Amino acid sequence: MIGFIGLDVGSVSTNIVFLDDEGKVRESVYLRTNGRPIPAVQKGLRQISRLVPLRTVIRGVGATGSGRHLAGIIAGADVIKNEITSHATASSRLVPGVRTVLEIGGQDSKIIVLRDGIVADFAMNTVCAAGTGSFLDQQAARLNVKIEDFGGLSLKASSPVRIAGRCAVFAESDMIHKQQMGYDLPDILAGLCEALVRNYLNNVGKGKDISGPVVFQGGVAANLGMRSAFERALNKEIIVPPNYDVMGAVGAAMLARDYVSRGAPTGFKGFGAAETDFHAGSFECDGCPNCCEVVELSENGAVIARWGDRCGKWSNNVSREKIS
Amino acid sequence: MTIKIGIPRSLLFYNFIPFWKTFFEGIGAEVVTSGRTNKAILQDGLRLSVDEACLPVKVAFGHVEHLKDRADYIFIPRLVSVFPREYICPKFLGFPDMVRQNVRGLPGVIDTSINMYRRERDLYGQFFEIGSRICGNPFKIALAIKKAGEEMKRFTARVESGLRPDRAYGPGSPEETPDRRKNATVAVLGHPYNIYDSFINISLLKRLEDAGINVLTTDNVPEKEVNYYVSSLNKKLFWTLGRRMVGAAYHFLESPGISGIIHVASFACGPDSMTGELIERRARRTGDKPYLSLTLDEHTGEAGIVTRIEAFLDMVGMNRQSARC
Repeated sequence: MIGFIGLDVGSVSTNIVFLDDEGKVRESVYLRTNGRPIPAVQKGLRQISRLVPLRTVIRGVGATGSGRHLAGIIAGADVIKNEITSHATASSRLVPGVRTVLEIGGQDSKIIVLRDGIVADFAMNTVCAAGTGSFLDQQAARLNVKIEDFGGLSLKASSPVRIAGRCAVFAESDMIHKQQMGYDLPDILAGLCEALVRNYLNNVGKGKDISGPVVFQGGVAANLGMRSAFERALNKEIIVPPNYDVMGAVGAAMLARDYVSRGAPTGFKGFGAAETDFHAGSFECDGCPNCCEVVELSENGAVIARWGDRCGKWSNNVSREKIS
Repeated sequence: MTIKIGIPRSLLFYNFIPFWKTFFEGIGAEVVTSGRTNKAILQDGLRLSVDEACLPVKVAFGHVEHLKDRADYIFIPRLVSVFPREYICPKFLGFPDMVRQNVRGLPGVIDTSINMYRRERDLYGQFFEIGSRICGNPFKIALAIKKAGEEMKRFTARVESGLRPDRAYGPGSPEETPDRRKNATVAVLGHPYNIYDSFINISLLKRLEDAGINVLTTDNVPEKEVNYYVSSLNKKLFWTLGRRMVGAAYHFLESPGISGIIHVASFACGPDSMTGELIERRARRTGDKPYLSLTLDEHTGEAGIVTRIEAFLDMVGMNRQSARC
């Protein structure tokens, strides 16, 4: 059979999906990036290769997420696409007619407004990380609640407490204060969800026309408390698609499928890429006062890519030189 | 020996350098400018300025620091108003004072007030005062001001014909004629010191041009057009740069040849927070052009900006495609 691979390398999670010839999601792998994208991509490739049916030919690979360039080079991706377009592609094809996509990931959150299947507007969180998965993770750990139990517990709240959601740091001190006052744990958790939703809508969703159908995706969509807080705040039904946590990867795979359908051969390096020795390092260029931090990726000792320089002196000049 | 006047490549440099340079050369001085913003300039700026300032003001400190040893005088006029009944941001007004407080080892400082609030011709007396500090010949000064004014007019005409200010000045730069055959035109709105400083905006204009996009900016919109569009506002906008930005935005929103609009703002900029809102609301109401708002701060990480630009260009592309079929 024929299939397509999508890679989404985010700050917190690395997701890999396998799509069949029809573009249906067959397999998916969700891993923690743990700050080391290369091993995460390789581990993901190894895991998905075991799930893919025998004698499958991978016809195309797409990469997205903040680590998309790195992942794209390691796997030999045909399409390297930004997260907005990838997420929008996936939700518009899996949830026909969708008009708003709420996406909350590990370190960023975005809103995408679609009209007739086309992105009409979008926004990402700016200098603020309040309301993202990392913060929920951190607070759950501090309250000694497993992140998996977080949502369910928060649904037991009878009267959610009011928590300032403007800033993650102040939200935390506000929560500690509420704990010390003796409020119930579910009420605090539900209050936190409401605060994050409020912050998201005021910050990322500011001025956006949020009309239904509304899709909620990204890792945080697993949190039942967040879902219901969105439902209450927007007074709309919130759709969480089956593969909500890997939608970026799904979108990237779909875009790769579109790309090769025009007759291009795939650049996929094969699942063997999981066993190749990749090494990333960085150095500071001293060619001018900009002092760019250049990243260098090598495969079995040979430099295969460089980026991070403003002038192109290093990135345009990649020959298969050996690093001594 | 010729006197060297140092002009930092920051703040309103890109708007007024033709005037300033012609004037100083007219009175027999030599003009030296600081180089393009780089990491070292940014680092020095961050170290020397107050924390509450916006990024372009911090960068301006860095430019002064890098220029001070190469000039006899640093030209940092106290920019109060460059247009009758309008003001420039108050941080510009206090800039010479902040520099004197924080930068050690300054040469002479020319910080004469540029204030055209009452009337445009007040500028003459102000530049006459500046000239008198360097040149003893009043006729020469008068002639230099006249020549500078003429140069400024030529420059403005070139910019209004569609050239970027950073390219319209200087003897015949090779990039003079923008390629009109490029597939889409995107309008970039923002303060000149944000959009023409490629370090501050992480090469925004270059990235757009590399993607085959034709770029127009706030400055390309003639004053008359700007005023026509801002006259529809309930209240007069008294910040010159804000008024120009809003007027240009409304103009571009109604121009059929524009496929998308990018608004560039500095983090912590007071006027931008309002003009940005005015522009965004109108863009939403008009609703047919992709719109992106970028906020710049001192992080040099490209990822955030690049993702937004890529997604925006995808949006522009899809929008054009669906309009065609």
